[in-house]
Amino acid sequence: MRLRPLLLVLLLALSSILATSTAQIPQPRPGVPQMSAVGETMAPAGSDSVRFLVLGDTGTGDRAQFAVGVQVWKSHQVFPYEFAIMLGDNIYGSERPQDFARKFEQPYKPLIDAKIPFYASLGNHDDPNQRYYKLFGMGGERFYSFQKKDVRFFALDSNYMDKDQQSWLQKELSGSTEKWKVAFFHHPIYSSGGRHGSEVDLRAIVEPLFLKYGVNVVFSGHEHFYERLKPQKGLHYFTSGGAAKLRSGDIITGPLTAKGFDTEQSYMVVEIDGDVLRFQTLSRRGKRVDSGEFTRQNAGTQ
Amino acid sequence: MTIFKSASAVIVSAALFGGCAPEALGSASAAENQAQPAAVTAPPRVNTQGLATLEFQNRIKAYLKVHNEAETKVPNLRETSDPAQISEREAALAKMIQTLRAGAQPGEIFAAEYQPYFIKIVKDDFAGRSAADRKALIWELPKNMKVDINTVYPTTLPLATFPAALLRKLPDLPPELEYRIVGRSLILRDVKANLIVDILRDVVPTIPS
Repeated sequence: MRLRPLLLVLLLALSSILATSTAQIPQPRPGVPQMSAVGETMAPAGSDSVRFLVLGDTGTGDRAQFAVGVQVWKSHQVFPYEFAIMLGDNIYGSERPQDFARKFEQPYKPLIDAKIPFYASLGNHDDPNQRYYKLFGMGGERFYSFQKKDVRFFALDSNYMDKDQQSWLQKELSGSTEKWKVAFFHHPIYSSGGRHGSEVDLRAIVEPLFLKYGVNVVFSGHEHFYERLKPQKGLHYFTSGGAAKLRSGDIITGPLTAKGFDTEQSYMVVEIDGDVLRFQTLSRRGKRVDSGEFTRQNAGTQ
Repeated sequence: MTIFKSASAVIVSAALFGGCAPEALGSASAAENQAQPAAVTAPPRVNTQGLATLEFQNRIKAYLKVHNEAETKVPNLRETSDPAQISEREAALAKMIQTLRAGAQPGEIFAAEYQPYFIKIVKDDFAGRSAADRKALIWELPKNMKVDINTVYPTTLPLATFPAALLRKLPDLPPELEYRIVGRSLILRDVKANLIVDILRDVVPTIPS
């Protein structure tokens, strides 16, 4: 009986402390999505898989890009990707040295500090001289390829698909002996975007090469949303151009769309584990908005 | 011998331009005849489109001489972690070319006599596209942008994607140069210097709004 007043006092003190703490937490601002403390990124399934981050249309230097930057680093704690691919529009607007800082180096500082390499492709907002910027990993080339274990990545310059690049692509693809071939570039050749849509000119040139030489999956940006397309002629396509810019409500869901997300910024983490590719798409707030896996198309033949 | 050279050049340029094979073959035949002096009876047929392309290529070569000279006068550009080096080098190269080409006039490379071929290629390409495709292409073009020869392409504006099918139809360019469309103009842009090298105005057709 004598304990009751004491308990009451303790309860009152506790509720007072909680009330104070709550008051100190910044309150959500209208129209500004808040990041969750713990995102929904899942750990990779493979122990020796090729793991990478996919970022598209990033270089705004605005609050959204920084928010996504925080989230991609959080994802890294759970899903330790080894490198990042950039799908173009790496720097919007002016490209002064301070723009490289504000629109790339600062938002992804933890990744850069952790020596996670970036491999960029050029978008229509990018000066092709970005290829000389070491942190974009382009080796001074507008289009290039690189290898990670049994995967070869082909970074294309979809802004300017001239004969030189076509010849290079054909040669690189035909000479590639890796199990997986992953292409990435800015303009999606299949898209349900209301503003841009499919880049049919480019498709007419690159798709036959992709099919002939067994490209397995293609990542593009340009459209400021996320879209997983239904496989086209057996090839998997992802559009992930909303890592800073967002064109809300732009997806016109139709026969191409397997999954679309255009209400918030997003990015992807991917792992290639033997013959299986697993992907997760995370929102700016860390919510997993899509995930899945598929087996390499020509598995069993190589 | 001079005639033989001209005829060969026509064949080469016809191959570059495409779509002029019959005329080129006619010229080839004339060239063979020239190689056998006794059989010469008539002057070779002239492939004006092929010759225009050849002349265009010659002017491109002349520009490259200027570009290369400018390159030797500014620091080399290598991969760097310092973006200031990239922008400073780009600006220095542009300034050097501007100096070397001071007084350059529109049409120095897109010369008047073969402008109709470029205009026809662009117009035919746009005419062959669906309305939606034309609209999407034109929507992406920078609007209300004033372009002038020997000036820097505004770094705050996007470089509109060049339609891949159209690019296939135009004469090849060396890696130092590229075609771009700005508004209704076709421009030649120096890639490393970010400089507008020449302009062909009113090429891109308008579309009804």
